[in-house]
Amino acid sequence: MAKEVFMPKLSSTMEVGTLLQWFKEEGESVEIGEPLFEIMTDKINIEVESYEEGTLLKKYYQLDDEIPVNTVIAYIGEESEAVPKDPPVGNDQEGSMEERESSSTTEATETESNVKESQSNKVRATPSARRVARENEISLHSIQGSGPKGRIQEQDVAEMVSQTETKLSTPLAEKIAKDKGINLHNVQGTGSRNKITKADVIGHDTASSDEPERIQLKGLRKAVAAKMLESARSIPHVTLTTDVDMTKAMEMRQALLPIIEEQTGYRLSYTEIIMKTTAHVLGSHPYVNASLIENEIILNKSVHLGLAVAVENGLIVPSIQHAEAKGLAELTVMSKTLGKKARNNQLTPEEMSGSTFTISNLGMYAIDGFTPIINPPETAILGVGRIVRKPVAIDNAMEIRPMMVLSLSFDHRAIDGAPAAAFLTELKECLESPYGLLV
Amino acid sequence: MRELTYLEAVREAMSQEMRENDDVFILGEDIGVYGGAFGVTRGMIEEFGPERVRNTPISESGIAGAAVGSALTGMRPILELQFSDFITIALDQIVNQAAKLRYMYGGKGKVPMVLRTPSGSGTGAAAQHSQSLEAWVAHIPGLKVVQPSTAYDVKGLLKAAIDDDNPVIFYEHKLLYKTKSEVPVESYSIPLGQADIKREGTDVTIVATAIMVHRALEAAEELEKDGISAEVIDPRTLVPLDEETIVKSVSKTGRAVVVHEAVKRGGYGGEIASMIAESEAFDYMDAPIRRLGGVAAPIPYNPELEKSAVPQVPDIIQAVKDTLNRA
Amino acid sequence: MELTKDLTLLPDISKDKLKDIYKEMWLIRYFDEKVDEFFAKGLIHGTTHLAVGQEASASGACAVLEDRDKITSTHRGHGHCIAKGADVNKMMAELFGRTTGYCKGKGGSMHIADVEKGNLGANGIVGGGIPLAVGSALTSHMKKLNYVTLCFFGDGASNEGSFHEALNLAAVWNLPVVFICENNQYGMSGSVKEMVKVPDIAARADAYGFPGVVADGNDVIEMMNVSHEAVERARNGEGPTLIEAKTYRWKGHSKSDAKKYRTREEEKEWRAKDSINRYKEVLIDATIITEDEAETIRKQAKQAIEDAVEFAKAGPMPTKEDLLTDVYA
Repeated sequence: MAKEVFMPKLSSTMEVGTLLQWFKEEGESVEIGEPLFEIMTDKINIEVESYEEGTLLKKYYQLDDEIPVNTVIAYIGEESEAVPKDPPVGNDQEGSMEERESSSTTEATETESNVKESQSNKVRATPSARRVARENEISLHSIQGSGPKGRIQEQDVAEMVSQTETKLSTPLAEKIAKDKGINLHNVQGTGSRNKITKADVIGHDTASSDEPERIQLKGLRKAVAAKMLESARSIPHVTLTTDVDMTKAMEMRQALLPIIEEQTGYRLSYTEIIMKTTAHVLGSHPYVNASLIENEIILNKSVHLGLAVAVENGLIVPSIQHAEAKGLAELTVMSKTLGKKARNNQLTPEEMSGSTFTISNLGMYAIDGFTPIINPPETAILGVGRIVRKPVAIDNAMEIRPMMVLSLSFDHRAIDGAPAAAFLTELKECLESPYGLLV
Repeated sequence: MRELTYLEAVREAMSQEMRENDDVFILGEDIGVYGGAFGVTRGMIEEFGPERVRNTPISESGIAGAAVGSALTGMRPILELQFSDFITIALDQIVNQAAKLRYMYGGKGKVPMVLRTPSGSGTGAAAQHSQSLEAWVAHIPGLKVVQPSTAYDVKGLLKAAIDDDNPVIFYEHKLLYKTKSEVPVESYSIPLGQADIKREGTDVTIVATAIMVHRALEAAEELEKDGISAEVIDPRTLVPLDEETIVKSVSKTGRAVVVHEAVKRGGYGGEIASMIAESEAFDYMDAPIRRLGGVAAPIPYNPELEKSAVPQVPDIIQAVKDTLNRA
Repeated sequence: MELTKDLTLLPDISKDKLKDIYKEMWLIRYFDEKVDEFFAKGLIHGTTHLAVGQEASASGACAVLEDRDKITSTHRGHGHCIAKGADVNKMMAELFGRTTGYCKGKGGSMHIADVEKGNLGANGIVGGGIPLAVGSALTSHMKKLNYVTLCFFGDGASNEGSFHEALNLAAVWNLPVVFICENNQYGMSGSVKEMVKVPDIAARADAYGFPGVVADGNDVIEMMNVSHEAVERARNGEGPTLIEAKTYRWKGHSKSDAKKYRTREEEKEWRAKDSINRYKEVLIDATIITEDEAETIRKQAKQAIEDAVEFAKAGPMPTKEDLLTDVYA
């Protein structure tokens, strides 16, 4: 009997998933564990593998559709088995599995006689064909064999490889190209195995047209937009700024950089020094390391530092758990690897949740101070500006010192100005005498 | 270079070795003034005398044993059996004695002898004078087994066999005796266990032995007209078998056809096919391995029936096309 | 069968050599008795064939050989090996399957060989060694090495094709080989009376055109005399000889033989003809040894076998790494 394919609930907070692509067409065979479709949720892309084997009988949703979790989005079963024309109703997420299974059983019984016609799902292919398919990550199920009894031979796979190599593109890129009337053959792919991505199509389009580009809010951009709007609308933000003399911090970095590089292979940056200091200072300012959830202020015991990372088309915040307990070497490794994973879209939901305080660093640009938007349910966010040499008055004399502006936005519902200022002041002092961290 | 027949090359290899080494002698039935059943030793008794070209009674067991015993005590005998079918009568001495003595004696003693014998069908000699029983002896640890296909190969391989310190069963194919190829005058050795690529190709590997090497080459010529490039490999020795050359070729072509004259059932082709399937060539196989061998019947007398009993050129062509899914 | 007492027939054999032969016969006896015991106790595995009672044919025939001469032996071959000068330590170690044995533990009872010392090996195939002996004789002839090959086999082997082929081949090539048929009356259970029509296997030599003689296989002096003559003929280029040594194996064919095919009376009769005792009497009569000396020699032989057992037990077992060595030279 046909089995439902559901929109999975991949995290406790996930309510809807956006369908990014189908890996299978209707009528294609599917094996257990084979990637079936890709969704985006909570800012990450996830390939969903099939729990069933058989033929993909029906797909109910198209690309970029937003689908509530536990909704039936497709059916897998024996070839020529009948399935409902429209997606089954009663797909609310509280509905029990038993109910859904019994309803589909009724539908399937009518077509049981067809089941016998189906053949074993095993693919007939030569060892060489299997090897080439394996090397090129191509499913043999998608290939029509030209050998005796439909046996797939090396040549069949090779042809498929060359076809996919010339036309490799994401479904989204294809859709955009179609909408804009762009011939994909003229677009240079930049994805893995030269796959043409959406950005390639758009880049190609803007380079060759005067028309303003119109981009629909969707995917990560849409998720970021929603979250920012919610934060800006619901949280009374106040932003404090202060100048920090980074002379000592610079000395410390110079001293520690070769040691940490030797130990970890990664280069220590100011971000990690600021993270370390922030985590340390947050320990004595629990209101700044709090979560405000439904009229309740939760004072978090541990510091889970969120680190805002700019990625293509959005912003995501991987978090470093128990940052207060980590040394600079470990923080360096973690921030570098998490940053890389974020940019490569490889973060797991666990790595993207649970932060209690976020740092947003724009120091690589010519930015001094700014007003960062809080990442709810956190109650504060630290904005880090560039380090720039400025004249400052030291004991009645002008000196040129490496100065940096810190901007702290806080949720005035949870924190008042004085405790927020006290936190920022201590953070400034701590950064100016960073050896205190060692005490 | 001068050409010699396969038969002359055998004789020349023996004669050259006998001139070089007093321990080498030949014994067998009717090998004296008669010159052997196929004339291989013709003229040799005149050169070497009856002591070293020893005409024997018709006693395959006795003369095989005498060869083993003399080898064990320091001679390097070449035993000629008139027809390879007669090895059945000598098998105790070959299988239970020659092959095992060294091992049974814990590495003491050696049996450097060559048993030369003509095999194969095609002469109308019928069931008891036409068999190809090489798989029997290839099965026995302690024996080496050689099946040369050309005059050049037979001379070099026979020298290597005579020089070898182990009992070597040396199969000469009756139909090849009159075939010619270029053969150097001087003595030379072809190492046992070294296959020869008789023709290079890219689409399919044909592993063929003895007379089948020539049929495979003929088939390859025909196949070329259809745009099929066949590689023909002659293992030359079954034991030791040059697995590397075969595996390398099949890994390249992805297809293998194994051809011998011996009855297919239990034939050495099964060993070669299994070896390929077990090797790293497996992942490069793009079609099932095909075996061609004799039908499971005694070799019949009637010439047309006799031909049908063993693989012929069209059979090889068909098998190759089958592996390529070509009509 | 009258015992040969005329020692003057053996001009070349010294008194010491005669005493050595007496000891050797006891070594053969005690070796096989010990093997029998260990088989019964399960200390040696596989199979074995004992020549207890047949000591005289092995010792008598080999007594006339020179070091360069060769022998081929049979599955019942421990006596032949000892008579050709094998070290009982290495023999026992072989039966224990140790690397210190003659065949590094790979041959066992039926394949003891010492090629360099001229023992071309025992043979597990009945009649299998006869053509090998002819081949060995051929080498002697062709390389003019002037050694003689002494070929032991049993009454059962005289019905094998290899026997007839080999005897004919040796005859037509006039090779220096002496065929010694140890007729111990039974080929396993088959009585020679049922399996051979002619009264004497020696008569079969007539068919191949060389002499065949019957000897008392339990009379070591007669065996020496007859063998001496045959070996000299061979060495002088006069061709082969077939000697039929009539004897008896006291034990069964191999282990677990109930001996239903013969009577206990017959066994008793043959035990009365014990070759070792008869030889001792001759030596005492000829004042070559005393009774006390004979007893001392016997005890020495017994102790030598005990020592062989200790040597054997101390030897290392072969390892799996040895499995594939020596398959090819």
